[in-house]
Amino acid sequence: MLQIDELTHVYGNGVKALDNVTLSIPTGMFGLLGPNGAGKSSLMRCIATLQTPSRGQIRFDDIDVIQEPERLRRVLGYLPQDFGVYPRVSAYDMLDHMAILKGIAEPKARKAEVERLLEQTNLYGVRKKALAGFSGGMRQRFGIAQALLGDPRLIIVDEPTAGLDPEERNRFLNLLAEIGENVVVILSTHIVEDVTDLCPAMAILAGGKIVKTGAPMDLVKQLSGRIWTKTVEKADLEALRAQHQVISTRLFAGRTVAHVLADENPGDGFEPFAGGLEDVYFSTLHASRKAA
Amino acid sequence: MFAKIVGFEFRYQLKNPVFWVAAGIFFLLTFGSVTVSEIQIGSSANVHVNSPYAMAETSLVLALFFMFVSTAFVANVVVRDDETGFGPIVRATRVKKGAYLYGRFVGAFLAAALAFLAVPLATLVGSWMPWVDPEKIGPFRPGDYLYTYAVLALPSLFLTSAGFFALATATRSMMATYVGVVGVLVLYFVVTALTAKPEYMTLMAYGDPMGFGAVDLATRYWTVNERNTALVPLVGPLLWNRLLWTAVAAALLSLAYGAYRFETKGSKVKRRQKAEAAPAAPVFAGARAIPRFDGRAARAQLWARTRLDMAQVFKSPAFFVLLALGVFNAGAGMWFSDGGYGVQIYPVTRQMIGVLRGAFTLIPVIVAIYYAGELVWRERDRKTEEIIDAAPVPDWVFVAPKILAIALVFVALLGVSILAAVIVQALKHYGDFEIGKYLWWYLAPLSVSLTLFAVLAVVVQALSPHKFIGWGVMVLVIIAMLVLGNLGFEHNLYRYGGGVIGPVAQLSDLNGQGRAGEAGWWFRAYWSAIALALTVIAYALWRRGKETRLLPRLRRLPRRLAGPAGAILALSVVAAAGLGGFIYLNTNIWNPYHTGLDDDRWAADYEKAFLRYETLPQPKITDVVLNVALYPDYPKAVTTGVYVIQNKTNAPIRELHVRFAHYLKVPSLSVEGARPTKTFEKFNYRIFTFDTPMAPGEKRRLSFQTELSQRGFVNSRNLTRIVENGTFLEDDSFTPMLGMDRTMLLTDRAKRHKYGLKPAELRMPKLEDDAALQFSLFRKDSDWVNADITVSTKADQTPIAPGYKVSDVTAGGRRTAHFVTEAPINHFFSIQSARYAIKHEAYKGIDLSVFYYPGHPWNVDRMIAALKHGLDYDQANFSPYQFHQVRILEFPAFQGAFAQSFANTIPYSEDIGFIDDVRDPDKIDMVTYVTAHELGHQWWAHQVIGANMQGATMLDETLAQYSAIMTMEKLYGRDRIRKFLKYELDNYLRSRGGEIVEEEPLDRVEDQGYIHYRKGSLVMYRLKDVIGEDAVNRALRTFLKQHAFKGAPYPRSTDLIALFRQEAGDDPIKQQLITDLFEKITVYDLRTVKAVSKKRADGRYDVTLTVSAKKHYADGKGQETEAAMNEPVDIGLFSKEPGKKDFTSKDVILLQRLPIHSGETTLTFVADRAPTFAGLDPYNTMIDRNSDENIKKVGG
Repeated sequence: MLQIDELTHVYGNGVKALDNVTLSIPTGMFGLLGPNGAGKSSLMRCIATLQTPSRGQIRFDDIDVIQEPERLRRVLGYLPQDFGVYPRVSAYDMLDHMAILKGIAEPKARKAEVERLLEQTNLYGVRKKALAGFSGGMRQRFGIAQALLGDPRLIIVDEPTAGLDPEERNRFLNLLAEIGENVVVILSTHIVEDVTDLCPAMAILAGGKIVKTGAPMDLVKQLSGRIWTKTVEKADLEALRAQHQVISTRLFAGRTVAHVLADENPGDGFEPFAGGLEDVYFSTLHASRKAA
Repeated sequence: MFAKIVGFEFRYQLKNPVFWVAAGIFFLLTFGSVTVSEIQIGSSANVHVNSPYAMAETSLVLALFFMFVSTAFVANVVVRDDETGFGPIVRATRVKKGAYLYGRFVGAFLAAALAFLAVPLATLVGSWMPWVDPEKIGPFRPGDYLYTYAVLALPSLFLTSAGFFALATATRSMMATYVGVVGVLVLYFVVTALTAKPEYMTLMAYGDPMGFGAVDLATRYWTVNERNTALVPLVGPLLWNRLLWTAVAAALLSLAYGAYRFETKGSKVKRRQKAEAAPAAPVFAGARAIPRFDGRAARAQLWARTRLDMAQVFKSPAFFVLLALGVFNAGAGMWFSDGGYGVQIYPVTRQMIGVLRGAFTLIPVIVAIYYAGELVWRERDRKTEEIIDAAPVPDWVFVAPKILAIALVFVALLGVSILAAVIVQALKHYGDFEIGKYLWWYLAPLSVSLTLFAVLAVVVQALSPHKFIGWGVMVLVIIAMLVLGNLGFEHNLYRYGGGVIGPVAQLSDLNGQGRAGEAGWWFRAYWSAIALALTVIAYALWRRGKETRLLPRLRRLPRRLAGPAGAILALSVVAAAGLGGFIYLNTNIWNPYHTGLDDDRWAADYEKAFLRYETLPQPKITDVVLNVALYPDYPKAVTTGVYVIQNKTNAPIRELHVRFAHYLKVPSLSVEGARPTKTFEKFNYRIFTFDTPMAPGEKRRLSFQTELSQRGFVNSRNLTRIVENGTFLEDDSFTPMLGMDRTMLLTDRAKRHKYGLKPAELRMPKLEDDAALQFSLFRKDSDWVNADITVSTKADQTPIAPGYKVSDVTAGGRRTAHFVTEAPINHFFSIQSARYAIKHEAYKGIDLSVFYYPGHPWNVDRMIAALKHGLDYDQANFSPYQFHQVRILEFPAFQGAFAQSFANTIPYSEDIGFIDDVRDPDKIDMVTYVTAHELGHQWWAHQVIGANMQGATMLDETLAQYSAIMTMEKLYGRDRIRKFLKYELDNYLRSRGGEIVEEEPLDRVEDQGYIHYRKGSLVMYRLKDVIGEDAVNRALRTFLKQHAFKGAPYPRSTDLIALFRQEAGDDPIKQQLITDLFEKITVYDLRTVKAVSKKRADGRYDVTLTVSAKKHYADGKGQETEAAMNEPVDIGLFSKEPGKKDFTSKDVILLQRLPIHSGETTLTFVADRAPTFAGLDPYNTMIDRNSDENIKKVGG
């Protein structure tokens, strides 16, 4: 159980990345959804001990993360949003190196663990290839392999599916689902489907604040009957925005499909729409933007 | 289009850190050479730091090394697009290959050329710096800067840029290009070293692509005046050199066009990657590995990080470039190290280490600075910091491996350099590798000191907000270390690490590293404690995760220091305090601490206080009794002594001035019938007043006790004259001197100026100064003295002093020997003591002996043979040898690289002679030459000595040269002397340019080595040629008869010249020659213009020679005026070139001495054989600036 209380972080240049964030994260997969720049990575880094927040508390079970980062690191698996590799180092050697850093000192056990993880992440066949030559998906899988080293109890994956093709993404999410049963896994993403597919619990972060928490199903249920859709010409969009709470628009066959949030049917050609998590997300963002 | 590409490329390169780093480094290098007197390129005592000559040399040297930078620029142009993957995009545009390739080249070259402007800029800025002696700065002439940059630097930059651009286009690999750079550099050094002989000079003026050869040819004999004012003229070889190599550069550029393929380079067809589909992965079952966080895990982490850090260094191309550069630089240095005059030396390990220290240690220093930045910032540069820093690794596991890895890299680097040294030794067929010396004199101290430096570099990087800032700080640290020493901040307690490569101990096979070696380890221990403290601080402030600002890290510092880290910090501070305290006790309490500046100031004050007593009449010493107890291990020399002094003036003497060397302790001093009236403790200067003045002719006694010692060790300037094995003391360092003279005063012009001393130079008394005739060159307070010297030392050493040994007793662990003279000798004694091997040989009633270090046996027999040859010549031609023993004694290299002649005693440095490798009979036999020279001094110094005035050293050094040359000529023949004289000539002409004060003719030489040795050899040999050996020797015999063993008044140079004139007779040509040789600075310009030979009907040959001759007189500053020439000059016809390896007397077809006048002369001869070479003054007996043009190949 990860408990975050009143976490605030202000960067050196005055940007307030996190604003009084309070959040409880139970065992299992937890989705942290938010647009780019919402503060997801800042939150992840604070939890991963890579950044000391300006204010607030983070506790993981009995560990005070801010006071005892060393203890947290012992149970942490972390896949950052963007990471590089050492040149001229193979996947095996790098994973082996990481295993040592994670405290797996005994060579035989380490070898077995490294090979097992390579196999699990489907990298065994390319273990001797230089990491620098890996594709984006392979690299992400390597990232999850190193995050799983040392049997972590808290796993943080920051934007893991960005830039992956659908097949790679599926493979990656399956892998996550496998491990996410007995430990805390925080999946930070801006892709709604990732959360829909995987997470029994979630939160939406916008502008450094938690603007919604809950189980995806519950959140979708709360919206039911309040989402309306209409297909309009691009030119009419501005007028529509003026009249209604347009939470999202997208193009379909050259015309614009708009989703509107309203307790009653706004009429005027709108049709009811069985909203999904995406509509929860957009409506939440819409509300938080309006509030800002 | 082209211009746009050029512009883009230029701006791109300017944004590249390489540009700024390179400009910064070259700025600092130049700035250092301009403002730090220890670093000099081109300038010298009188040559201004911003003189055209100094700027030319600086530009040439730095343009050579700029090769690495310009390659980074131009090769980057070619390789960049492929590395970034941007190539296809660029090439898909409409840009043409030519515009793309050359546009980028031009842009990059312009950037390189701009970066090199840092060099003239640094000269300019440096010349404004307030601490640079104004005497060393010439006027600011913008034209000089422009000319030097445009003519000397730019063409070289263009050539190297074009060449390596071509190589990069052909190989498309940065690594391959850099390997090429190293290869070219190595080739360049090797060829330059192989052709560093006078005969290749003209060839290299054209052939040396960097222009050194051409500049050297034009300026080698430049005087100070010329170096300060004249630009190297862009004519002749220099012009052609610049044109030729610029054309070569253009050709290379056009080759690059052909070599460049515009298409994307297809990657080699590799085996298809089956990886993704590979189904054969084994199945892994079993329990998950559970992490542990104990000592074992930490050790595994430490080692894994160390390996990773080391691998980063070892796998980077830059490392190999640096290593190769260092090894080849040091390798060439070791391979070509010689003992002067082209003499080979045995590559003893001590010598190899000396070269390595000088030529190789820069590489690890660069590695420390560069890789400290690379390693500390690697995680951030590679963007792995989030993964790595989130791992459960304590911070010290990040800090320690950086230092450990760099330390191990140092060991590897130094190990490779040792391997190179051993290979050089093996290639020279020298089998005694002395690995222990490599380890303890080189590897161990240097790797520790360098590691200390690396710790500093790592700490600086850990605190600095950016890698480049960290690098910049380290460069400033180096500069500060160099500059602070000059400003009087010398103490190794505050100079980090005791210097960039730590305290460096001087080496000797006899005495090892001596006290300085031991002191070095104390300093290293002290700085290791501080380095440990710094490491803890780096640990506590380690950048982890995303926080790179220093302030938040500083805030958490106290919390991070709680626990073991704080304990280690406290311990290391305590250790540093303890060690520092002990060092301070040694350097400042047990021994006086003094800097170079302190000593200068002392000498200036000394002069101001006492020089006015210089002319005060004083008694002279007639008898000396010394009892010297040496304690080599301490080191200490305790002396009790008695002088008998006599008033040799015509008036009573009321006061006696007694002086001692600066730091000598004087526990007791008494003068018969006198009381001390003034004592200047600070200056060790005492004035005694006689109760009853000393009457003329009266003798009295002066008794004294002194102690010359050092307790423990000192900061620098350890006592090197008394050492554990190889003590060599001169008497004036531990005995009193009477009256004020000019020893111990500042002579350097700049320093005299700084301390306001007048006159600007301390010159010798003029030749016309009759008062100076009262004093000999050796000592003002003595004429010839009787000596009775007792020396005691450790039981296992041999004590030596001038005189004959009358007793030698070993008792109570001490060996005591007693030496007395049979007849008076010069008051000029040496005391020596060491564990010697001794070789004796009796020869014609004289005991010849060599006392040597057992490891240096090679030339002992040759020295004894040289003594025999020398005795034979000198006794037969001058006078009988006055002693019945000659002793040669080896002394440690750190006391100097010279030999010196005391009465029947010749201390001889281990650095010369003893390690000469004379197995090649074509090389000059310097062992015999030096030995014969020092033996010659037994006549020319120890039988007759000149008055202390101008020309005095003509009577000892020049005549000792004559003895040596004649001994050599009898042994090796006249033809082989040519080679020796050619070195003498070259050395004389080059040294003239470095004259600090004023060049004097030989009869007025003021202890100027290049005149009394180098020119002296040439003068005496020519004199002998023209008036004949017998006549010269007759004159010398007469000179000895008139002056040998006589006290004041002492002879002058003109007394001997008068004897030469008598022997020369009435011949006005010979009289004129003596004037030109001794009384004027005469420079000839001799050339063979044409040499033609035709076969005659009778089978003989008609030879026609056209020669041209000129004679100039020069003044003391090198200004020349032409004089009419009419004198005999040797003309020769030869079947081989004189001076070449296999040239022998059989190759001389004809040799005649014919009168030659100013201007051209045509001569005809009939020869029996066909000559291949012909010309005038073939043996280089005349002083000629272009001695290579004397001889010409004969045409048909």
